[in-house]
Amino acid sequence: MREWWSKICRAFDLQNDVEDELSDEIEAHLDLMTADNIERGMPSEQARAAARRAFGNRTRTQENAREAWQFLRLETVLEDIRYGLRGIRKSAGFSVVIILTLALGIGANTAIFSVVYAVLLRPLPFPYGERLVRLGESTSNESGIAVTWINFQHWRNENTAFDDMAALASTDLTLTGRGDAVLLHAQLVTHSFFQLTGMRPALGRLFGDTDDKTGAAPTVIVTADFWKNRLAGKSNVVGESLELNGKPYQIIGVLNPGRNVFWRSVDLYLPLGRTAGVSVKRSDHGSIGGLGLLKPGKTATQARVNLDVIMERLAVSDPGPEDDHRSYVAYLTEETTGEIRPTLLVLMAAVALVLLIACANVASLLLVRSTSRAREIAVRMAIGAGRGRLARQLLTENLVVAAIGGALGLLFASWCLRALVLIGPVDIPRLSEATLDLPVLTFAAIISIVVGLLAGLAPVSTAGKVDLTIALREGSPASGTGKRGQAMQSALVIAEIALTLILAFASGLLVRSLIAAQTSNPGFEPQHLLALELQLPESRYKSEENIRQYYGQLSESLRAEPGIEEVGLVMCPPGAGDCGDWWYSILEKPTPARSDVPMTLFNIADGAYFGAARMRVLAGRSFSDADRAGGSPVTVINEQLARQSWSDPQLALGQHLKVGGPYAEGPTLEIVGVVVNVSQMGLDAEQMPTFYYPFSQKPSSAMVVMIRTNGDPAQWTSAARRHVSAIDRNVPIQSLRTSEDWLGATLKRRRFTTLLLGLFGALAMVLVSVGIYGVINYWVSMRQREIAIRLALGAQRSTILRWAAFDATRLAVLGIILGAMGAWGASRWLKSLVFGVTEHSPLMLLVAAAAVIAVAALAASIPLWRATQTDAVQNLHES
Amino acid sequence: MSTVDDPRKSLEFLQGTLEVLILRSLQTTPNHAYGISQFLEQQSEYEFLVDNGSLYPALGRLLQRRWITSQWKKTPNGRRAKYYRLTPLGRTQLVAAKSKWMRFVEAMARVLAPVR
Repeated sequence: MREWWSKICRAFDLQNDVEDELSDEIEAHLDLMTADNIERGMPSEQARAAARRAFGNRTRTQENAREAWQFLRLETVLEDIRYGLRGIRKSAGFSVVIILTLALGIGANTAIFSVVYAVLLRPLPFPYGERLVRLGESTSNESGIAVTWINFQHWRNENTAFDDMAALASTDLTLTGRGDAVLLHAQLVTHSFFQLTGMRPALGRLFGDTDDKTGAAPTVIVTADFWKNRLAGKSNVVGESLELNGKPYQIIGVLNPGRNVFWRSVDLYLPLGRTAGVSVKRSDHGSIGGLGLLKPGKTATQARVNLDVIMERLAVSDPGPEDDHRSYVAYLTEETTGEIRPTLLVLMAAVALVLLIACANVASLLLVRSTSRAREIAVRMAIGAGRGRLARQLLTENLVVAAIGGALGLLFASWCLRALVLIGPVDIPRLSEATLDLPVLTFAAIISIVVGLLAGLAPVSTAGKVDLTIALREGSPASGTGKRGQAMQSALVIAEIALTLILAFASGLLVRSLIAAQTSNPGFEPQHLLALELQLPESRYKSEENIRQYYGQLSESLRAEPGIEEVGLVMCPPGAGDCGDWWYSILEKPTPARSDVPMTLFNIADGAYFGAARMRVLAGRSFSDADRAGGSPVTVINEQLARQSWSDPQLALGQHLKVGGPYAEGPTLEIVGVVVNVSQMGLDAEQMPTFYYPFSQKPSSAMVVMIRTNGDPAQWTSAARRHVSAIDRNVPIQSLRTSEDWLGATLKRRRFTTLLLGLFGALAMVLVSVGIYGVINYWVSMRQREIAIRLALGAQRSTILRWAAFDATRLAVLGIILGAMGAWGASRWLKSLVFGVTEHSPLMLLVAAAAVIAVAALAASIPLWRATQTDAVQNLHES
Repeated sequence: MSTVDDPRKSLEFLQGTLEVLILRSLQTTPNHAYGISQFLEQQSEYEFLVDNGSLYPALGRLLQRRWITSQWKKTPNGRRAKYYRLTPLGRTQLVAAKSKWMRFVEAMARVLAPVR
């Protein structure tokens, strides 16, 4: 302890005193030795020299003593830093290349890391975010499906693993009586929801037990945004009423502004128990999801076991058709990001490869420089610098360079991040929250240091291996690095080429996938198709007849508009995703076991839709006027569904589809037609089985009117608006965009990923070409003399070229082989991102390898050309 | 045995021995660094060759532990030199270290060359 303390004191204090005293002491030591030597009869000059010789290395003694007295002398470190800065100034061009390379690598990594951190790692903005789980039911082939109200009540009352639970569901409501009708997004929640998420009211109160049961007076809580935008931020809104779907709801509270818990925007909160509480059967499925707060120390798995026990008990005490259902419990942190996780991890890995390449590049540049510094280092060793001391100085210098690179990288990262958030698809949760905050800055600092050390490793490890006698001799420029340095440099270039090939292969696969997705056949003609999304207010359109009438009238009036060729209705247009799925079975086929009931998407369309969208009818017919309400129920299925049961779509006609499967309630529909598959879930998604209800037999208030025009559909948007408000100005337009927009939106995330990976690939190409240029250029400079001699002895320039190119080719071939192996191994991580092409695509590997070779050849060609241009006479004269 | 010790080579100090020997050299009278190295070489009949690169750090360590103190004084020849002196703490340390090393040496001898 005491030793440490005095070391610390000395590090700050007394430094010069100690230094002077040690110097004096050694001087005295020499004096005494000299005196002894003179006594023995030596001449005085000789006596002094002999004393010096006998004393040994004075500088080393002094440094050793100093180290025993103090830790690291701050002064030495500062001196090294100053020395490093002087070195940077002295070789400005060289340093700029290194610093920029590092800044690019560190900056790109920091930007991507900040996205990864914000999306995947940052704790959720709730007080107990890490203990929140999503709850649902699961069967043997579906997990995370809705929980029924009755089951949820049992779970909440009988569990031992949760502090509390809340149930939630979402709905859309039309607000009337305050200007134009608007459609609002509402979240139905049980009253415990606000405690779980830590939301607080800014005005009024939150739901209590009394609001949250059947028969309670209708109440509503509004969000801060809704209050500000729709209610003018008035402080006396509590107690006022809102007319939702034609019924008055009393506002009891306004929430504090805060982060939204849900992916879609929310305007209102309504008590769930008031409406869901009427449910009596354990198998009454709505679309209720659960949110649970685990007791401290409980895991999601333990909680699931706990809920499963309750479900097993219920299967005995309250048997029903869903006795095989069990629970589903998943951490909210993982649940919300599950889909984007592989994409972000691939991007992170790719950008880390870029950093490795940058690192290798810098290391190889530093190696080149350490060659030219060999003499300097030799001199330092000759006057007594130890290997450790030299290594420390070189590392300090590298860290100085890395620190400057890191600082520039941060600047670069802040620009990149702004661009990323702007171009990033909105469906990446919490992307907009990505900032350069403390964890990100720490990350940047750590990678800067690691990069500084890594890049410095090669030159430092060769630094001490200098042969002094060779290095100090005049006119031997090649001294210093020697074979070892060159081997290391070659290894670095091989690694760079290999890493670049991996990146080129990955970005090639993604570009190919994007092209495949963009040109994939959507099954219909999205051009010249306008999609008008409507939601009829329930208060005004109560009966199915009202709804049919409205849409019939709108279709007729639109058809009369010049330039509009056809108008059809569909509930869920292509690209809109999953608007509803359910079990089904075919009556004429064997009854599936309870756990094997297949699922299908369902949709609603009218007879004109398939024609308007230009979807081919493969068998049978489309819907017709004969399929009247109250008539025999019919359906049109898509090819995918038909292929699951029949070898030929024709065979499906006349057979019967039982909605809900054999074990759940649902109508039986006669199959009258089979249509082609369309890209329902997106252009780059798998085809899903789908069946269509006829709109006439199952009208829905929320439909999308598909308008086929004879020109750019954007020209008809104002006409469409006019027709809608001419019939009823209380009908809100949800959206009005082209069908191509709907489809294009499904590729946003893919475009984003491809763009980033492509950028990384390009960056890698630039870096590797700089690296190859540097190494070959160095090789040529070192052999300038040898080349001159060979030329003077009559060698052909082509021979010189072959000789020089042989070295370069060897490196490239080794790098390509290693890279191909790496790319092949890494490609399985890309599986989830690849579409329309196998991730093990030999063709793509060939293309990527060819691209890397082309870049490498281009980079090598300049110095190689220089080699052949060597002027033998002049070169030999000079030396 | 395949290798035999070369008696012409001086012995290297074992870890921690140099400090003890320095303490011993200061037991009777204060001395300067040169004097200490002379003393050790002569007493060991030139078996030990003191390297200044080890001597000065060792002195530094002993100073930090307060086992010795230092003072600039005139030598008998009228030169100035830094004299080291044993502190009471250093004296106790020397006694303890000496008995420890003697036991160590005897034990080594017993094992290496047992009396039959």
